[in-house]
Amino acid sequence: MSQTNSGKDSQASEAKKAISLPISRVRLIMKSSPDVSSINQDALFLTTKATELFVQHLALTSFNNRSQTEANTLNYSDLAKTAEESDTFHFLTDILPKKILAQDYLKTLEQMQDEDSDF
Amino acid sequence: MASSSGNDDDLTIPRAAINKMIKETLPNVRVANDARELVVNCCTEFIHLISSEANEICNKSDKKTISPEHVINALESLGFASYITEVKDVLQECKTVALKRRKASSRLENLGIPEEELLRQQQELFAKARQQQAELAQQEWLQMQQAAQQAQMAAASASVAQQASSSQDEDDEDDM
Repeated sequence: MSQTNSGKDSQASEAKKAISLPISRVRLIMKSSPDVSSINQDALFLTTKATELFVQHLALTSFNNRSQTEANTLNYSDLAKTAEESDTFHFLTDILPKKILAQDYLKTLEQMQDEDSDF
Repeated sequence: MASSSGNDDDLTIPRAAINKMIKETLPNVRVANDARELVVNCCTEFIHLISSEANEICNKSDKKTISPEHVINALESLGFASYITEVKDVLQECKTVALKRRKASSRLENLGIPEEELLRQQQELFAKARQQQAELAQQEWLQMQQAAQQAQMAAASASVAQQASSSQDEDDEDDM
């Protein structure tokens, strides 16, 4: 009994090493794309692995291009910067509302109000 | 954990899985919380990007199901060609694991004997077992009957013997 169990475990861990993201979730996200009907199981494996590589790629690139090179930190702004400056990651700008400082926003508001009051 | 909104666009990769990957990619780096959240959403965006492109390629190819080939071409056209080699390797690994698992389970199930034969053997064994049980039950019943008879006979002969011995004494006396 223990032999077959350890056999199954090593097979399961082999598969685990190959892919760490949940395949079922990736399938759900793919199917929520408009017009996508059916996906071959192997195509699903490929997409899942590609997504993993994407995460690693995005994290590494953003960290290496970070604005605050002295700090060992990865910030939101580093990711945003990478999305804007890189061709490959440019598609991400769609989901990146530009974060502006509160004080800048308030200044803009004030300016707009001043303009209104001129009339 | 059940989503009450049911909105497809809320689907994302679990945060924990992303955190783990970031930790493995950038060990010893502190990552801001909003940055992590952004990575989660970027994943979804990436999956949509690949799916849409692969789907377009699939539609053009007259096939109904998105194939691995379509995904690979999508990666290429979207500027992610550098992923292709590694992604293909993993596919091969997954297939091998799945194949091993299927072989192992079928080996265990069959043992080289076809299913009908196994069924027939099973029926035979059941019939034999039923017969043995019936015979056993009958034997026990017979034994009980015999035991009961013997007990009766023993009791009867005991009383007969008593009578006989009392009359025997009288005969003996006559012969002398």
